[in-house]
Amino acid sequence: MIDIVPPAFIFILGAILLPFLRERRLRQIFQLLIPLIAFIDLLYMHKGTYWVYNFLGYDLILGRVDKLSMCFGYVFVIVAFLGMVYALHVREVGQHVATFLYIGSTLGVTFAGDIFTLFVFWEIMAVSSVFLIWYQRDKSALDAGFRYIMVHIFGGCALLAGIIIHVSNTGSTQFGFIEYGGLASQLILLGFIINAAVPPFHAWLSDSYPEATVTGSVFLTAFTTKSAVYVLLRTFPGVELLVWLGAIMALYGVVYAVLENDIRRLLAYHIISQVGYMVCGVGLGTEMAINGATAHAFCHILYKALLFMGAAAVIYVTGRRKLTELQGRNLFKKMPICLSLYMIGGFSISAVPLFNGFISKTMVVAATGELHRPIIHLLLHLASIGTFLHTGLKLPYGIWFGRVPEGETIEDEEMEATEPPLNMLIAMAMTAFLCILTGVYPQILYNILPYPVHYHPYTINHVVGMMQLLLLTAGAFWLYIDKLGGEAKVSVDTDWFYRKPGVLLLWFVSNPLQDLRLRLQGFFTKMVANITSLSKNPILLPEITARYFHLKIINRLYQASDTYKDKQDELKKLESKLAAAKEMRYDENVYRRPIGLGVLIAIILLFLYGLIYFIRLH
Amino acid sequence: MGRKLKYLFFISCGASMLIGLFIAHEHVHFWWEKIPVFDALFGFFGCIVIVLGSKALGHHGIQKDEDYYD
Repeated sequence: MIDIVPPAFIFILGAILLPFLRERRLRQIFQLLIPLIAFIDLLYMHKGTYWVYNFLGYDLILGRVDKLSMCFGYVFVIVAFLGMVYALHVREVGQHVATFLYIGSTLGVTFAGDIFTLFVFWEIMAVSSVFLIWYQRDKSALDAGFRYIMVHIFGGCALLAGIIIHVSNTGSTQFGFIEYGGLASQLILLGFIINAAVPPFHAWLSDSYPEATVTGSVFLTAFTTKSAVYVLLRTFPGVELLVWLGAIMALYGVVYAVLENDIRRLLAYHIISQVGYMVCGVGLGTEMAINGATAHAFCHILYKALLFMGAAAVIYVTGRRKLTELQGRNLFKKMPICLSLYMIGGFSISAVPLFNGFISKTMVVAATGELHRPIIHLLLHLASIGTFLHTGLKLPYGIWFGRVPEGETIEDEEMEATEPPLNMLIAMAMTAFLCILTGVYPQILYNILPYPVHYHPYTINHVVGMMQLLLLTAGAFWLYIDKLGGEAKVSVDTDWFYRKPGVLLLWFVSNPLQDLRLRLQGFFTKMVANITSLSKNPILLPEITARYFHLKIINRLYQASDTYKDKQDELKKLESKLAAAKEMRYDENVYRRPIGLGVLIAIILLFLYGLIYFIRLH
Repeated sequence: MGRKLKYLFFISCGASMLIGLFIAHEHVHFWWEKIPVFDALFGFFGCIVIVLGSKALGHHGIQKDEDYYD
């Protein structure tokens, strides 16, 4: 057997080598080669534990290979390749380096067998991904990136605290099932659900993903939230809290998507909604639910990448990112291929039969039925209506066909728009192909799921039920088509709590706190200056003190009496004497005393010392 | 084109509901799954609820002017 390396290292090594390739063509080939090598590497990995290193008495395990980690490993590497094709035209090497580090660390998380390895890769993931936002290089991206990294650092700290408590309680560093209950597990769960964008800790996602670079956002959609779903599947299957959080999350994203005007932010809210199905599946915890969550993560990565590719392509060619800026342009005439490929993603996320969302989403929903959870079942059902309404109907309609509302006019008449570059279209076409392939032949996916699959998506009941749901949703959309256009507004989300009070905090720091600092600093500086000037001539210290108090007392006394004005000259004289005393430098000739004085003092001290000594002796 | 699409839409709506009336539901987990066209009704009214509900929430607090955070 070929000696294989951890797939994470392939990408990280790629990130290190990439800047040294000066030739652009060579670099492009290299960018595509790395995911391919990683994929071949995955094919050679078999169930078991590999790459165990002992470090400070703990086992660091870089390769825990089983069906769950392999399933996520496969889809991460596939989407890495597709995303790289999509980003092939980007000349900035730094972006690709950040991307490779990001993918590598995600794979590190996926195959980590102990929680220390997990934590290290978890942090690299946060730090490398923020560059995909910052490379957009405008102010809003910079700000959003800072908020993104702060939330993730907070999550990382919670995770680390949880890990430390967990390890000192149990002594085990194994990354596996953790019993929920107690501070350690709660902190670890908090760290995980922040990355999974579970409300109320989700706002970082909808805040930052739309600000990322055109190509960076495609990678961002795939890795962070889904690796969080993976770690949740590992550690917290069957936690009841997650069932409810997941179901609420699925609907939460939908509600915000109705209000959203920015096209990528709308899609970002649908990531939250879709990850809700997975989190809910984790919480349900049955074999079918775990399979469903894994399958949905797999499919979601593909169709969401496709949707983001489509939306980002529109932004790339038009430079506009809002529905209100895109309406009335008849873009469907100018970019029909892009529209068609986007629609495949739209149908996939909406779970239209023969597209991949149908074979995975229905599995999670069926798991709620199996467990007889009516409320959860209806919430998830309602969320799928919203999904189709937005990503399948409203967004494509708004971008490519949108009409200008009556009474409004388009500001700048002409807008350049063509199909996006060829590499973008090829990437979209390949992703679309995979969406349909897994939709038509679900066995490809079902075979790599963690548990044996006993679920058949293509029964007449499922298909007809889903068609009824979707068609009538389309009918209702038709009725409200004019109400659903974008509004030039922003929606306040839970990021308000650190954006608005954050400004207050800044004010507090830069005004009252800064003022206090200046006062303290002034006080101490003055003290130091006084001591310095006094130390010029310490022998005069008694005289200066006496003169100082003399002046003060006399001044006060004169003020009390009515002769104050007449005594000004005297006061001035005293003041100048004090100043002169302060200014006087030490001069040894002035203070020379007869040598006998020194001897006398020494003898007196010696006498006193002897006296005390004898008294104590007796 | 538009007209054809409209007809296609109405026909498929009708067809899906008609088939829904005649197929027997296996593995019924909830009482509402016995209602023949429940999915269609749920889709239609669910969509309206989502649109109106979200818009109401939006117009009563969530939506702010675009320079709100500046």
